[in-house]
Amino acid sequence: MTSYPVFLTDKRTGEPVAAELIETISEADLRSVETEWKPVTNAKIRALMAKGLSPADWPEGWHWKWRDKVTAINGLLAFRTFALRCEGKLQGLMQLNTARARCRVPEQAGKDLVYVDYIETAPWNRTAIVDTPRFGGVGTIMIRAAIEVSRDHELRGRIGLHSLPSAEAFYANVCGMTDLGLDGTYEGLRYFEMTSVQADAFSG
Amino acid sequence: MKKTMTLNLTDTEMQVLQDLCDKKDLSKTAVLRQALRLYQLVDVRLEQGGKLFFEDEAKKEKAELMVL
Repeated sequence: MTSYPVFLTDKRTGEPVAAELIETISEADLRSVETEWKPVTNAKIRALMAKGLSPADWPEGWHWKWRDKVTAINGLLAFRTFALRCEGKLQGLMQLNTARARCRVPEQAGKDLVYVDYIETAPWNRTAIVDTPRFGGVGTIMIRAAIEVSRDHELRGRIGLHSLPSAEAFYANVCGMTDLGLDGTYEGLRYFEMTSVQADAFSG
Repeated sequence: MKKTMTLNLTDTEMQVLQDLCDKKDLSKTAVLRQALRLYQLVDVRLEQGGKLFFEDEAKKEKAELMVL
């Protein structure tokens, strides 16, 4: 198990908090999703249902089943997974696919990239679920990790992903990725791609 | 930890490998590692009962790729 020291931001104090980015999602991480994340998300869904809101208004990704995702890719070299832990709790998960997609941005079209299959942050870090998020920076750390995997594969930091609507501004404005518009072939989600130059600017 | 191996290729195979390196802007090692990832993924999916297709949307053609 490889782990890397990283820092999240405590949203209550604005101070950095030591965290750990761990390569490969473990059984303990999956249990954390089921016993710590799901109850928070489900409580929010029940509150929304009580207000008469439909699943379209529920928090994005509420139906994701990380255990199924991880089981499906077990042992496959093409996939890399990461877990982010802080203060003893799971704060985020990510699944990368190194054998899925080619670049679409003209300046790097046809070259390989690392595709970000899924990123999720703990429900207590999401403004869609709690009024005051606990930690910030999960997405930034995960995207930096994806860039490092891309570099490790000699792909020069090139990554791509389809964004859920609530995260579009993050990928466009914070990460500086190129917005290639809505993709009719992938659930109508907006596709973003990071060039090697953008990767250098974002993560150095 | 990474291990080193010697690979014996014909001239043609080496030329194909070099062409892929030039096209993808990758080293030979990186191309072969990517090929291994893809080959394993395809092999496992086929073992699970999946099929691999190439589709030409313009010509409306779809051909199953037989992987030995």
